[in-house]
Amino acid sequence: MNVAQKSYLKPRSVEEAISFAGKNGSSFRYLAGGTDVMVNKFQGNEEANCLIDISGINELKQVTRDENFLKVGSLVKLDDLKNYPEMENEFPVLLQAAQEVASPMLRKTATIGGNILCENRCVFYNQSEWWREAVGYCLKCDGDICIATGGKKNCFSKFVSDMAPVLIALNSFLEIADAEGEYKVRLEDIYTGNGLKPKELNQTAIIRSILIPVTERYTCVFKKLRPREAVDFTSLTTVVSIDDHGKIKIVLGGVDPKPVVVGGTISSHVEKLIEQAVKKPRIVDNDFYTRLYRKEMISVFLKRSFEELRNILTIK
Amino acid sequence: MKSLKLTVNGKYHEVLVGEHEMLSNVIREKIGLTGTKIGCEQGSCGACTVLVNKEPVLSCITPALKVEDAEITTIEGLSTDKGLHKLQEKFVEKGAIQCGFCTPGMVMVALDHINKNPKTTKDGIKEALAGNVCRCTGYKKIIDAVVEYANENQSPVHPVKDLGGKVGVGRPYIEASKKVQGLADYADDYKLKNALHVKFARSIFPHAKIISIDKSDAFQIQGVRYIATGEELPVKFGVLPISRDETALAIDKVRYVGEIVAAVAADTEEIAERACKLIRVKYEPLKEFLTIDDSIHDVGSNEKIHAHVKFNNNVHKKTELRFGDQQQGLKEAEVVSKMSFEMEGVSHGFTEPHAATAYWDENGLTIITATQVTHYLHRTLAKTLEVPLSRVRVIKPYVGGGFGGKSDPFPHEIIISHIARKTGKPVRVRLSREEVFLTNHGRHPSRMTIQLGANRDGTLKVLDADVVIDGGAYGSFGIVTSYYNGVLLQAPYKLNNFGFRTFRVYTNKPQCGAMRGHGAVNSRFAVESLIDDIAHKIKMDPVELRMKNFLDPDSLTVGQYRITSNGSRESIQKVADQSDWKNKYGKMKYGHGFGVGCGFFISGSALPIIRNELPQSTVHLKVDFDGRVLITSGANDIGQGSDTMLAIIVAEVLGISTDKIFVIGADTLLTPVDLGSYSSRVTFMAGNAAKNAAENLRGEISEAVLKGKEIPSDELNFMEDRIFSNDKRINLSWSEAIDVLTANRGAVSVSGKYISPKLGGDFKGAGAGLSPSYSFGSCVAEVKIDTKTGQVKLLNVWGAHDCGKAINPLAVEGQLEGSWHMGIGQALSEEMKYYKGLLVNNNFLDYKTPTTLDTPDLYTNIIETIDPEGPFGAKECGEGALHPVIPAIANAIYDAVGVRVKKLPIKSEYVLELIKQKEQSKQEVSI
Repeated sequence: MNVAQKSYLKPRSVEEAISFAGKNGSSFRYLAGGTDVMVNKFQGNEEANCLIDISGINELKQVTRDENFLKVGSLVKLDDLKNYPEMENEFPVLLQAAQEVASPMLRKTATIGGNILCENRCVFYNQSEWWREAVGYCLKCDGDICIATGGKKNCFSKFVSDMAPVLIALNSFLEIADAEGEYKVRLEDIYTGNGLKPKELNQTAIIRSILIPVTERYTCVFKKLRPREAVDFTSLTTVVSIDDHGKIKIVLGGVDPKPVVVGGTISSHVEKLIEQAVKKPRIVDNDFYTRLYRKEMISVFLKRSFEELRNILTIK
Repeated sequence: MKSLKLTVNGKYHEVLVGEHEMLSNVIREKIGLTGTKIGCEQGSCGACTVLVNKEPVLSCITPALKVEDAEITTIEGLSTDKGLHKLQEKFVEKGAIQCGFCTPGMVMVALDHINKNPKTTKDGIKEALAGNVCRCTGYKKIIDAVVEYANENQSPVHPVKDLGGKVGVGRPYIEASKKVQGLADYADDYKLKNALHVKFARSIFPHAKIISIDKSDAFQIQGVRYIATGEELPVKFGVLPISRDETALAIDKVRYVGEIVAAVAADTEEIAERACKLIRVKYEPLKEFLTIDDSIHDVGSNEKIHAHVKFNNNVHKKTELRFGDQQQGLKEAEVVSKMSFEMEGVSHGFTEPHAATAYWDENGLTIITATQVTHYLHRTLAKTLEVPLSRVRVIKPYVGGGFGGKSDPFPHEIIISHIARKTGKPVRVRLSREEVFLTNHGRHPSRMTIQLGANRDGTLKVLDADVVIDGGAYGSFGIVTSYYNGVLLQAPYKLNNFGFRTFRVYTNKPQCGAMRGHGAVNSRFAVESLIDDIAHKIKMDPVELRMKNFLDPDSLTVGQYRITSNGSRESIQKVADQSDWKNKYGKMKYGHGFGVGCGFFISGSALPIIRNELPQSTVHLKVDFDGRVLITSGANDIGQGSDTMLAIIVAEVLGISTDKIFVIGADTLLTPVDLGSYSSRVTFMAGNAAKNAAENLRGEISEAVLKGKEIPSDELNFMEDRIFSNDKRINLSWSEAIDVLTANRGAVSVSGKYISPKLGGDFKGAGAGLSPSYSFGSCVAEVKIDTKTGQVKLLNVWGAHDCGKAINPLAVEGQLEGSWHMGIGQALSEEMKYYKGLLVNNNFLDYKTPTTLDTPDLYTNIIETIDPEGPFGAKECGEGALHPVIPAIANAIYDAVGVRVKKLPIKSEYVLELIKQKEQSKQEVSI
């Protein structure tokens, strides 16, 4: 039996990384911290023969600022975010979210870019090759059925990044480089909602940096539901932000193949917004907690978030 | 392959590595530093942590090529020629090391945290260690060690404490310093020349006929040396002689998803794994029985999971015992509480995956394997491989925890022994974490309805339990489990009218077996909940109610258990006082509550599993001219500290320090038979045998030094490394005395033994749960509940456990804290979740072992009652402590929000549902 040649490449620049990618057809995978990719590889969910380790690209590790944006390099590690005073001062909610990702050890390796691009998850998909064969391969591994729902069309693997919902609530952008060139995109626009291909990015794309607007001030509340106080992926992440003009943005993670966004203004009926936020996600039973419980918790978390926002804003 | 340059612990290496090979593998297999442990291979347990350029990294998910030219520090690199690193010293001193498997990772992470945050706090340390799983310690002593190191770090003087060796004086394990340096070899750390690696092809059907197995494609792969299938090992086995229902590899049919169908031995693990995927098995699916409900009803005779089952159903065992008339008793009782409960299965979650190496030579088979019970494995290997007992040697290396999960003989042990014989080569195997979960043998999922009747004055009158347990595909310890679910309810309270009936059913799932607190954990939770309910019904403080009903010391239970020492009252009093129960229970705001629970457990089963006339434990001592005493014992130290316990007992009897003592444990060639580490028997039984042996040696020494002198032997003292008579006419150092002893005789060997007294009634089933002594204990838990989410925050656990006498208090505390931690996991987060017979949460990410942050402050109290028959009064402490903690939590939830928990685990959604039901019924009442 032929065993496909494996390779491990270490580009020194974004351009080199993209050119390596171009030479490896479809069987490659970028590796930043690797905390997501390597686990998926161990399980056989990730089968790329070529790993392109971008963690040596120093230009992606900077945090800079211009008049419009705080630019956070995609390779900044989650644990290192706290070393930047502007985070603490202007975006404490980002630090809070980072602190609640996985475990302290994983955060020392995992990057902010990697977290944004974290693979969607499902209890019926994130399993060993043998297990998936035994259950009968699902849509996400080339099977013909979604085991969580019994449906034949849609994959509901859930979006699990904790950083992305916050960044979306802050109206962040991404600076992307790919084989076609470079461009800027709204973070929330890269997610497709299709569990099979959750992100609308060219395969060769690399996030250069995350652009967090500094022209607007936001007050933000972050909440995460998980069985244990560490290690676990999210079962529900809620973020509510409100800017100085009273614009409200609700972002949910962990309950749909993509981050779910509901917008409003300070004059909206909060109840209505919450109702929309509860209705919108396509929650299925693919988590530690049941679908109904997570649905109910959306409303509990959001009510609390609005209460907290009210308190913060009154004090201000 | 690529060449990789690395500096590891200051030493330069250039090694060939696979393009996608993990750093952990390179460090362990190519550089040979096996202190770095592999527990999960998914970055979820932290055991593999090393420093890469001074930054901690999970080496099991780090490709080796990622760290080219790096400077790596592993656990082996921390100590210097001047000795242990101070943090390592702290781990040793504080008893933070039990099995030691998580220790290297813990130390590396803690060290990094403190180096970067010298002013850290206890909370900071808990947070930093939250990604490192420990299953033994409940984290308490680990956190204590790190906190103390952080506080003392600044001070230049560091006193080295005397390690001691006296009964009742806490000391670290004798092997602690080896473990903390990563130098202790566990089963997967043994590397024999030319060893083959084995991987398994496992069933993908819960219940199916095997039509054919085609190995031809697999054999095509270069490097494949042997492929074994079921018919090669036809002899059935099972830990209990009364239920030998398993073969090493499936024959004719498979009974659960994950059952081993074929085993490939190859030059490398990777080749073996690839070949497994090419083994083509044709199955004909059979009707599946996945739940208790599926299995309790009659089925067609050709649909049964096991042909040997008596009737047309899948009931493995029905056990029933009755004392008195329960129906009448329930009629007469002034208040009755009846409830039904459901508990999910849980698994042991030890951090070291099963691993073993086997080889044959002129002495027959030798197997080095992570086992709790070398003796039964010895017998099973002889039987299944059809060789005499004298041709089998089982060696237990250091073992990374067991908790019952390494106490059965396992298919992988039999298979590699078989393949080693067939190929003439050593054969290695290590299970992945997923395979460990599939191997299971964990706590049975259970369902039970229990009725408890009492008088209005709080006197318990009658208990009737109706239990069904889900055994999975094979027997394991299940018959014992069936009995224990019932019989272990006859204490710690006086009950003259008591009965139970238990069914154990076979289902098409991984088998269940013995797990810490064996058999009685679930039913204890149920009964303690009922007692709480009765207390509410008659408006009596639940502590008082229990006090009123405890059995007295030196009494008999209704089923004729002989109760000797009994610290129930002292235990509950202690936790009530310490938690300020009187002022807290029933007096907190809505959502905040306190609960209490009690328990008891056997101190070793009085009857062996295999009926024979051997003592339950034999211990040998040998002393030679150099004065060192060698203890050999078949008891398995799996991290609970039994080797140290033996050393302390012998040191105490002989009045010498433990540095003159060396322990060889659990090697069936060298050590006399001990039945092994299960049923909480080792301190009581092996401890007594060691004490007996030491007394015999003392007798020999007395005789030698008293020869020709008219001094009665009771005037001879053995103290502080000296032997002297009251009048000091004899006044010898230990080595002088040994010179006298060995003169013209040479080395002296003595033996000691323990045989349990004849106990119990003469009815069928009277032997179940019989023990020469019982432990007792109590817990109080404090919870806060978020009434909108149902989330339960466990704030504190106060625990007390009557262990008779703590031979080594440091180790006893560790056992108690570990038991409570494990109980907390079962109470709040752990469960074996199945989907159509497939185990869904088969890894350390999805199986929710509590982290440091999920574990509350534990307040540990040792209660000593000096058991008349235990060695120095000691009895068990490793399992019984688990029993009270689950009901204490459940009862605290009742105190907090007034809902009765009847399911485990107590997930937040369940609590929320109960709260809602209650609110609704209140509304209905008010309408």
